[in-house]
Amino acid sequence: MRCPPVLRTAARFTDQIRGLMDRPTNIRNMSVIAHVDHGKSTLTDSLVSKAGIIASAKAGDMRFTDTRDDEKERGITIKSTAISMYFEVDKEDIPSIKQKTEGAEFLINLIDCCPGHVDFSSEVTAALRVTDGALVVVDCVEGVCVQTETVLRQALGERIKPVIIINKVDRALLELQVSKEDLYQSFSRTIESVNVIVSTYHDDALGDVQVYPEKGTVAFGSGLHGWGFTLLQFAARYAKKFGVDKEKMMAKLWGDNFFNPATRKWSTKPTDADGKPLERAFNSFVLDPIFKIFDAVMNFKKDAIAPMLEKLEVKLAPDERDLEGKALLKVIMRKFLPAGDALLSMIVIHLPSPATAQRYRVETLYEGPMDDESAIAIRDCDPKGPLVLYISKMVPTSDKGRFYAFGRVFAGTVRSGPKIRIQGPNYIPGKKEDLFIKSIQRTVLMMGRYIEPLEDCPAGNIVGLVGIDQFLLKSGTLTTSETAHNMKVMRFSVSPVVQIAVEVKNAADLPKLVEGLKRLSKSDPCVQTWINDNGEHIVAGAGELHLEICLKDLEEDHAGVPLKKSEPVVPYRETVKAESSIVALSKSQNKHNRLYVKALPLGEELTKAIEDGKVSSRDDFKARARVLADDFGWDVTDARKIWAFGPDTTGPNLMVDVTKGVQYLNEIKDSCIAALQWATKEGVCAEENMRGVRFNLLDVTLHTDAIHRGGGQIIPTCRRACYAACLLAQPTLQEPIYLVEIQCPENAIGGIYSSLNIRRGQVFSEEQRPGTPMFTIKAYLPVNESFGFNGALRQATSGQAFPQLVFDHWEVMPGSPLDKGSKLEELVTKMRIRKGLKPEIPSLDTYYDKL
Amino acid sequence: MTENTTFSTSGADAISRTIDVQPEITVTSASELDDFYEIERTIAEILAGDYKRVALQFPDELLHDSVPIYRRLKAGIGLGRELYVLADTSYGSCCVDEVAAQHVDADAMVHYGHACMSQTSRLPVIYVFGKKPIDVDDCAERLAEVFKGSSALLRYDVAYAHQAESIASALRRTLDIPIITPQIHLLSRPSQTPPAADPEPDSSSIIYIGPESLALTNLLLTHSMSSVYSYDPLIKLARLESARTNRLLMRRYATVQKARDADVFGILVGTLGVSSYLPLIKHLRAILSRAQKKSYTVSVGKLNPSKLANFMEIECFVLVACPENSVVEARDFLRPIITPYELEVALQAEQSWTGRYVLDFERLLAESGAAADAPNSASGENREGEKAEDEGEGEDDLDQPVFSLITGKYRHAKRFGAPTPTLTGKGKEPEASSDMILRNQDTALALADNAAAQFFQGRTFRGLEARVGEDAPSVLEQGRSGIARGYADDHPGTTL
Repeated sequence: MRCPPVLRTAARFTDQIRGLMDRPTNIRNMSVIAHVDHGKSTLTDSLVSKAGIIASAKAGDMRFTDTRDDEKERGITIKSTAISMYFEVDKEDIPSIKQKTEGAEFLINLIDCCPGHVDFSSEVTAALRVTDGALVVVDCVEGVCVQTETVLRQALGERIKPVIIINKVDRALLELQVSKEDLYQSFSRTIESVNVIVSTYHDDALGDVQVYPEKGTVAFGSGLHGWGFTLLQFAARYAKKFGVDKEKMMAKLWGDNFFNPATRKWSTKPTDADGKPLERAFNSFVLDPIFKIFDAVMNFKKDAIAPMLEKLEVKLAPDERDLEGKALLKVIMRKFLPAGDALLSMIVIHLPSPATAQRYRVETLYEGPMDDESAIAIRDCDPKGPLVLYISKMVPTSDKGRFYAFGRVFAGTVRSGPKIRIQGPNYIPGKKEDLFIKSIQRTVLMMGRYIEPLEDCPAGNIVGLVGIDQFLLKSGTLTTSETAHNMKVMRFSVSPVVQIAVEVKNAADLPKLVEGLKRLSKSDPCVQTWINDNGEHIVAGAGELHLEICLKDLEEDHAGVPLKKSEPVVPYRETVKAESSIVALSKSQNKHNRLYVKALPLGEELTKAIEDGKVSSRDDFKARARVLADDFGWDVTDARKIWAFGPDTTGPNLMVDVTKGVQYLNEIKDSCIAALQWATKEGVCAEENMRGVRFNLLDVTLHTDAIHRGGGQIIPTCRRACYAACLLAQPTLQEPIYLVEIQCPENAIGGIYSSLNIRRGQVFSEEQRPGTPMFTIKAYLPVNESFGFNGALRQATSGQAFPQLVFDHWEVMPGSPLDKGSKLEELVTKMRIRKGLKPEIPSLDTYYDKL
Repeated sequence: MTENTTFSTSGADAISRTIDVQPEITVTSASELDDFYEIERTIAEILAGDYKRVALQFPDELLHDSVPIYRRLKAGIGLGRELYVLADTSYGSCCVDEVAAQHVDADAMVHYGHACMSQTSRLPVIYVFGKKPIDVDDCAERLAEVFKGSSALLRYDVAYAHQAESIASALRRTLDIPIITPQIHLLSRPSQTPPAADPEPDSSSIIYIGPESLALTNLLLTHSMSSVYSYDPLIKLARLESARTNRLLMRRYATVQKARDADVFGILVGTLGVSSYLPLIKHLRAILSRAQKKSYTVSVGKLNPSKLANFMEIECFVLVACPENSVVEARDFLRPIITPYELEVALQAEQSWTGRYVLDFERLLAESGAAADAPNSASGENREGEKAEDEGEGEDDLDQPVFSLITGKYRHAKRFGAPTPTLTGKGKEPEASSDMILRNQDTALALADNAAAQFFQGRTFRGLEARVGEDAPSVLEQGRSGIARGYADDHPGTTL
C-alpha cells in the first residue's frame, strides 16, 4: 500500500492518474494556504514526497513547488503550481469518509497556492476557484495572521472547506521549551481563532466547517522535519489497546478529558477523587511520546532511545542508527509519524470530492439560471454533460510568449479537436462579443515544473490547455452549450493600488515593451498595464514587492529590453461628501435642452458591494432593485431606474433617473450613459476615476425637434451637468489605505510606532500573543506613504519587525480641494500639472449655466 | 422670453451676436494702413496678373480694417476689376478659402493675416501678412544668450517675414554661425509645383521667431530630433522649447493607441484649400478599408464637441486639415481626433513610435505610396511562404483579439468589408448592398457587416416602440407649451 519514495516512471504514473480522473468521487482538489513563512511550500513537499515525486530524503530541503530563481533566493513562493498525486488510503480509514467513494485509491490535485505574501494573494484567488478544499497552514508560534484570515475568508466565500495543520511544532518544542499543557493551550487557542473566522463567514450551504481536532480536521506537525499527525493516528493506536471504537477514542483525546491510570477510568475533571491532579488525555497519550522522543534524542540519552523505538514500532536502517541530534530526531519522527500519510488521509477523509462540492458550489460559481443544462451538469459533475471549464490563470510555457490556460473542468470532458466556445469575461449569452469558437490543440496535466500530455480530461479535474491562450487575457469560461452563461468572475482581495510608469531606453524597443506588457498582464491575475493620456506605459500592482517582481519579469523576460522606471505613483478616487447644495443645471450648446442633476454620496457599503460584484450592472434590474431596497435602503422605484454604472459601465458610480413624466426621455438615455462613463472616468477635480457618487437626473427639458436633442447636444451637456453637480457637492479625493500587520517582540514596538507616525499611519490594535513574547500590531497606512516603509521599519527595529501590507479601503482625505492653500488643493494641483491640465480646478460657472 | 415665434428662431440672433475678438492691431493713419497691408504691392500684383475679380479674405481679427483696405485697393486698381470681401471662413482662417472665393467666381485671392502657407489647388493667392514690428537687435541678443549649436535654421511667424533677412543677418553677426532662411512665397499659384518643399536642411537647431502658437507646436512635433529655440517679439523673451517636445509627442502616442482600438473611423474634412486634400482623403479611405475598418467621411466645418458627438457610432476621427490645424487636443471631445500620419501609424500591425512626425500631406502621400510599393514587391516572393505559415497558425488568425493598451484588456476587433464575398469588385464600398435589410426573429436588423446597424442594436432607444398593454392609462395632464428655449411656464429663479 505504501508507495516507495522513489521517482516513478512518468508514463505509468500518468496512466494511473488518468484512470482516477474518471472517478469524481475519488478526487480531491485542494490548495494549501497560509500566511507568508508559515511553511506551506515545505509542507507541500512532504506531501509530494509521499506521493512519490521527489525522494523523501530531500523533503524539507528542496522545495518542489518553487520553480523560479527569485523564489528560491527570497525563500518565498510567488507563483502557484499544481501537482497531481496518487494516494491509497488505509482500508481501515475508508469508513471514516462520510461521502460517496469507490475504492481506496484517490487522486489529489494539490495547488500550493499560494504565495503567502499578501502582494501575491491574487494567485490565491485563482487557485481557490479550481479547488474544493483547503489545507490551512498555521504557524504554532505566530498563530493566525492577517494573510491567514484574508485567505480563509476568500476560501469560505468560494465555499471551500478548510482543514488546518498547526505547523512548526518542532520550534515550540526545541526553541520555546514549553510544557505539555502550555502547548495544548496554545493549540486550542489557535484552533479557536481559526474557528472564530470560520463562524464569522458562516454559510448555510456549506454547513459547519469549523475545525475540531477530535474530528480529525486538525493536524499537528512539522513540515521541515517531515512529521505530522492527526488524532486519528493516535486513536488508531490506542483503540486497539483500549479495545474501544476509533472515533470514540478520538473524542477522548482532545478537550477536557482526563485519564486516571490508577483506576483506568475517564473523567472530565482535572483532578481525581482524592484531589490529585490528572493529566489531560491529549498530553499523556499524544504529546508524551513526542516529548519523550525529543528529550531522549536531544539530550543524547542513547539507552532510552532503543526501547522507545521498539515500543513505537519504528525501525531504523543501519546507517540511520549512527545519526545524532536533530538529524536522528528527524528520522525517528518521520518514521513514527509520517506527515504525508497523516495529511493525505486527512485530506481524503475530510475534504469534499468534486462530486460532493459542486452540488453546493454551483450557485456561487455559475452566472446563469440554476436549471439550464450547464448548471445541472456542473451540479452533478457530469463528465458526459456539456463542457463547462473555467480558466483561472495563464501559466507561461517554455515557448516565449505562449501560455498554458490553467483551469478546472466543472462539467463535461475536454479534449483536443472539437470546437469549443471560448467566452471572455464580457461575454453575454446570445451575443457575439468576447466569444471565440475554436478548438483546443492539446490537453496536459500540469505537475509543477513538468507537464504530461493527456488525451482528455473529465469533469472534476484540473487541467492545462494549449492553443487557446491568445483568446483569453487572464481568465474565461469554455463551454460547448450555446446557452451556457459565464462562470462568475473572480474577485481579488488585492487591488492594483501602486503604479509605476515604464519607458524604453531606446525608441526602437517600443514594440517589445508593448508585447511585454501584454504578456505580463496575462501571466499575473492582478497586475494591470495600460497607457495613460500622457503616453506613459503604466504597470499597476498590489504593492511595492509585487511591482518589483513584475517589473523584473517584464525587463528580463516578457519584454527583454532595458527599461526606465518612474517613482511609484498612487491612484486616487474622486468622490463627493454631501448632496449638491443646489440643483446643477447645464444647457446644451444650442440652449434648447437643459439637464438638472444632483450628485450625492452613494454610501461606502453600496460602493463596496458594487466593487465586490455583489451588486452589478449585469444583474437583472428587478432583482437588483430588490437587493438595493432590502440591503441599502433604496426606494424601489429609484432602484429600478438606474440608468448606468460608470466608469467602464461597471464602476461604483450610478446615474439614476428620478424625473417625472419627461417626454422623449428614453431618447437621451444612451447619450447620458455615454456622458456618465466619460465624466466618471475623468473626475472634475483631477481627472481621476470617480468612486461612490450617485447622480440623480432630476429633470430634463428637451427640444421637441429630435435633431436638436441628439447626442451632440446631450453628451457634452450631461457631462458638464455631472461636473457641476460634483462641484456643488463638496468634492474631495479618496486615497488607498493599507492594513499593516506587524509581528514583533516587545522591544521593537517603539520603533514601529515612530516609523508609522511619520508616515501618517494609525495603529488601531496592539495585542500580545498569549504564551509568547510576540506582539501583533495592526495599523492603517496610506499607500502613498508606504514606499520604503519596509526598509525604514527594519532600520527602526533593527530587523525584528516585518510588516505585511494589504490594501484595505479607500479613505476620504481631510479638507477640500476647493479651499485655496489647503493640502488637498496642493495635491490636486500637482496631479493636474502632471497630467498637463490647467493647474486650477475649473470654476463652477464653467459647467453651471444660469437659467 | 415672450417671443415664442415658431419652432425655429428667425436667425436674427446670428446677426446680432457679438463675437469675442480682440482687434489685434489698430492702424490709425492711411499711410500706416498702406504700409502694414502692403497696398501698393497688392495692387501691383493684381494688375500684373490681370485679375478681374479678386476676393479678399480676412480673419475675424482684421475684419474691421476690411473697408478702408477695400477702398484703397479699389482706388488703385481702377475700373473694370471687382473686389469682394469674404467673411466667416468655414475652416481655420489661416487657410485660403477657395470655395468661398468661387462663390463670387473670383480669379484670384488676397489672403490677409496669419497664413499656414499650404499649397492651394485652384486659385492664385496673394498673401498679405501684415507687417508686425520686431526689435531685430534685441531678438539677436536674447537668442545669443540661450542658443547652443553650430548652425541654425531660421523659421518665423509669417508676420515677421518682412524682417526675416535682417534678423538672419543680425543672428549671423552675433552668433557667428551659418543661418539658413527658407524663402516664403508671397504669391502662390496652384499650377506651381510645391516650392520644392525646401529640402529641410538637416540642421540640428531651429530658431523660431514669433509668439507661442500652433505653428510653433507643430514645428516641435515635426522636428523632435532638433533643438528648437524661440523668440517671442511681444514679450521679448527667448528660450529653448524642445523640453516639451517629448511630452507633446507622448500625448500624441497615447491618442494613437486610442485609434488602434477603434473600428469605425470618421474622416473629417477640415480644409478645402490645401491642394492634395482630395487624394489624401481617397488614400485614407483606401488604407482604412484595407485594414477592414469602417470609414465615414464627415464635413462639419469648424470643429466643436457637440458637432462631433452627434456621430456616436464613430470611434475615432481623422482630421484632414492644413498642418497648422491638424493637431487637435481632444480633451473636450468625446472621441479622439488624429492626424492622417497618426492613422497610418495606428494601422500598422507592429507598434512603433520613433519620434518621427509628419504633417505635410504631400510628403505623407509620397511616403505611404513608396511604402506600399516596397512591401508589395517584397511580399511577392514571400507570399507563398507566408500563406503556408498563416495556415499553420490557425486558419482564422484574423479572429484573434488584440491587446488594447488603453484598457489593458483584450479587444475583439470588429471587421468591416471582409473580403469573403467576392461578388463585386473589392473596391466597392460595403454598403452598396443596402437595398434590402434582413430582420431576424427578434425583428432586429441583422446586418453583421454594417457599423450603423451594429451600433443601433447596442442602443437602448430604437425609435418608436409599441408598448401595447404595458402601460396603465394615466390621467390627462396639462403639458408644457412653447419651445424649449423658453417654455411658457418657465419662471426664472425657480429651479424645480
